[in-house]
Amino acid sequence: MVGRGRKHALWVALLWITLTVAGEAVVLTFDVLPPVAAEEGRVVDAAFRLLTILGMPVFTFVVAVLVYSVLVFRSRGTPEQDGPPLVARPLIAGAWLVATSALSIYVIINPGLTGLAELRTHREPDVVVQVEGSRWQWKVTYPRQQVTSNKELVLPVNKHVRFDVTAVDVVHSFWIPSFRMKIDAVPGRVTTVHVTPTQTGTEAQDFNLRLVCAELCGLGHSLMSLSVRVVEQADFDRWVSSARTATAADGERQQALAGSRS
Amino acid sequence: MPLVQAFVFAAIGGVFGVGVTVAGRVLTGREAWSLEPVVTVGYIFALLGWLLGIGVWDQWAREWLGLPVEHRQHRGWARYFAFTTDHKVVGVQYLVTFVALFLLAGLLAMLIRIELMAPGMTFMGLGTYNQVMSLHGIVMVAVAVATIIGGLGNYTVPLLIGAEDVAFPRLNALSYWLVPPVAILLIGTFFTGGLDTGWTAYPPLSDVNAAGQVLFNLAVITFGLSSILGGLNFLVTIATLRAPGMGWGRLPIFVWSIFAASLISLTATQFLAAGLMMILFDRLLGMAFFRASAGGDPLLYQHVFWFYSHPAVYIMILPGFGLALEVLSHFSRKPLFGYRLVPGGFIAIVVLSFVVWAHHLFTSGMSDALHGPFMVTTELISIPTGLVFLSALGTLWLGRLWLTTPMLFGLAFVFNFLIGGLTGIYLADVPTDIHLQDTHFVVAHFHYTIVGGEIFALFAGIYYWFPKMTGRMFSERWGKVHFWWMFLAYHTTFIPMFWAGIHGMNRRVGDYPAELGDVNLFISVAAFVMGGSFVVFTANVVWSWVRGPRAVANPWRAHTLEWQVASPPPIENFPATPVVVGSPYAYGVPGAVHAVLTTAPAHTPAASGGAQAEPAGPALAADSA
Repeated sequence: MVGRGRKHALWVALLWITLTVAGEAVVLTFDVLPPVAAEEGRVVDAAFRLLTILGMPVFTFVVAVLVYSVLVFRSRGTPEQDGPPLVARPLIAGAWLVATSALSIYVIINPGLTGLAELRTHREPDVVVQVEGSRWQWKVTYPRQQVTSNKELVLPVNKHVRFDVTAVDVVHSFWIPSFRMKIDAVPGRVTTVHVTPTQTGTEAQDFNLRLVCAELCGLGHSLMSLSVRVVEQADFDRWVSSARTATAADGERQQALAGSRS
Repeated sequence: MPLVQAFVFAAIGGVFGVGVTVAGRVLTGREAWSLEPVVTVGYIFALLGWLLGIGVWDQWAREWLGLPVEHRQHRGWARYFAFTTDHKVVGVQYLVTFVALFLLAGLLAMLIRIELMAPGMTFMGLGTYNQVMSLHGIVMVAVAVATIIGGLGNYTVPLLIGAEDVAFPRLNALSYWLVPPVAILLIGTFFTGGLDTGWTAYPPLSDVNAAGQVLFNLAVITFGLSSILGGLNFLVTIATLRAPGMGWGRLPIFVWSIFAASLISLTATQFLAAGLMMILFDRLLGMAFFRASAGGDPLLYQHVFWFYSHPAVYIMILPGFGLALEVLSHFSRKPLFGYRLVPGGFIAIVVLSFVVWAHHLFTSGMSDALHGPFMVTTELISIPTGLVFLSALGTLWLGRLWLTTPMLFGLAFVFNFLIGGLTGIYLADVPTDIHLQDTHFVVAHFHYTIVGGEIFALFAGIYYWFPKMTGRMFSERWGKVHFWWMFLAYHTTFIPMFWAGIHGMNRRVGDYPAELGDVNLFISVAAFVMGGSFVVFTANVVWSWVRGPRAVANPWRAHTLEWQVASPPPIENFPATPVVVGSPYAYGVPGAVHAVLTTAPAHTPAASGGAQAEPAGPALAADSA
């Protein structure tokens, strides 16, 4: 019995190794992640890839035992005999616990805590953008540049941007898929997220260059999206000056409106 | 008819509650009519009326006033529509009700997938979409919480431990009869402005939306009450009503899993009720728990909500673990591998489940200091969960695998939950979760754990115990058709959802960028095919229940107690209390016996040493072979 068990175990080990090699080859060849456009997003992507590489042997081990058992140990029709009454010897149970604990703790440390530490090291921001979510639109304000827009979010490339995010009515969530960054916009709080765009682009070129609401916020949730445009610094400065005029005009109009009301 | 009486009493209670509220408002100088307070107080009295009418008055409350209690027990079909205390009737009531709700919420999923076939709002409006999606969510959550525990648990746990009934049979009936008001309220949300917050009901949105939110909160609080009472009943039943010899080390693993899940039901559900009541207080009494403008904090709700709702996923999946392991052992013809480790794993999961909730809040803006600790606790849960996989794989190893329909679902559980578990690590890991939170990756992940895990286990259990519950066999051929159809369509539906989420498809949206059109069309078509598999299931089950061949007592030749009595079991379950003398899974152990059953009630079998030489399980099994 022990001899036969060992023969089966060898076959399963072979199947496991084969599946693992094939699986890792697939994972390393085909990249499932969409284009990334921010430094911080690379941390997320690296963690994603590492988890996939580490998870593969676990996946293939269970699949190997499962598939082998179904193919080899199945009985045609009603089984006449019972199987051998195996017990979980302390050695096997102990080895299993050690292996799963080791893997679990490794994953907690890397990419978990290391990735977290990387994302938490913030530089002084080059640009600050205040983001305000309301049902169902985003408003972005550049306090240093004195510019406000609800038409698009324009960012200079390779500059460290800090977003101060809040909401006026209900909980929204700030998500730019190509940056991989997300933070909820909560009424009564200011949450922050840091992004360093690494390449220029527009929503027309990459549909995930958009600031989209990721927290259900009622009727217009599906439509709550703002185009993101990453440009060279010179283009950014040009946009700021033209937008400042528009913002000022808008401000005057509102002041006039307030004046006429009072 | 108790049902008619229940509706009449409910109507009287409702009118009374509405009257009291309107009178109170007029006397305090307010406008007479205000929908939300009137509905809330009206509902509370209607619920009391409903419960008194269905049988609490006749069979219970009269006792409190010193009046004679009417022990009216209905026979035949009528008992399924009455306040019946037999745990087997309550089990069937739960099972049929919740499988029907599962099919209904499945139809809502079909509507969601029709809308998502193409970008743009093509089939329904934004408001209708939010309502359909929210209702699908909450009904399926209720199905996931109650179908295995309330249905299969109620039916089988007393049988599996050798008891005559549960510890509190009237409380059990009460738990079930709290459910119809929940269903009526949830349907009622459609007529009161709808529910558009998803099942999570995050404020401040749920503080300010239409009155349907109030009905939702009342429904979920009522359902929570039912869940708490059910949990209490199971804990006391398992702790006190085990047959002689049925030590904790001989309990079938499904009973262990129900015990572990009940610990959570009894102790965590209050938090959900508290959160929802705080929303009601904000709305009805002008309090400001969650309104930031008045000093409240929206994040408070998220912490309270997930303090229940993360443990709740273990209320859903623990019975799935138990059921799958149960089936794997019986159909591998092998003892459950690592039987003594698995309950330890269950209890470790219960304990850990209470300290992981904030992983739902990694992107909520809560303190950064909380990210590390909650990532650690969450990822540690994979260790006790790993024991379930060790047990499953060790049980299959060198077994004699009997690939019946329940066994196929049990095997699929292992594969599906493996994917559900591994994809959960991406969500426990803070860096990846920042991208994946609130996307279709999460949608795919929890459909892998709950549908791929729990619902596949549920079908394993339904097919496994169908002969016991109905006394008839189902069609094995159509069972296998259902399995392969559902299994293949299921993976075809949900695997691409991971991709969609990674590629920018956020959650709970009716509209999305055109670039995601192809993957969504693919998912929708696969989902429709998956929907078709339940037609096969329903037809097979209904036809077999009515016309199927008679089932023998033990068609699977299993050792556990429920198979040692007739199919379906007599009302008192066992003619005399069985005596348990060994493991429930001693397959392949020569001369091993799980329990000794005597047919003559006069003899107490505890004293009869001679009977133990007769292997009761295998002997009865031989009858059917």
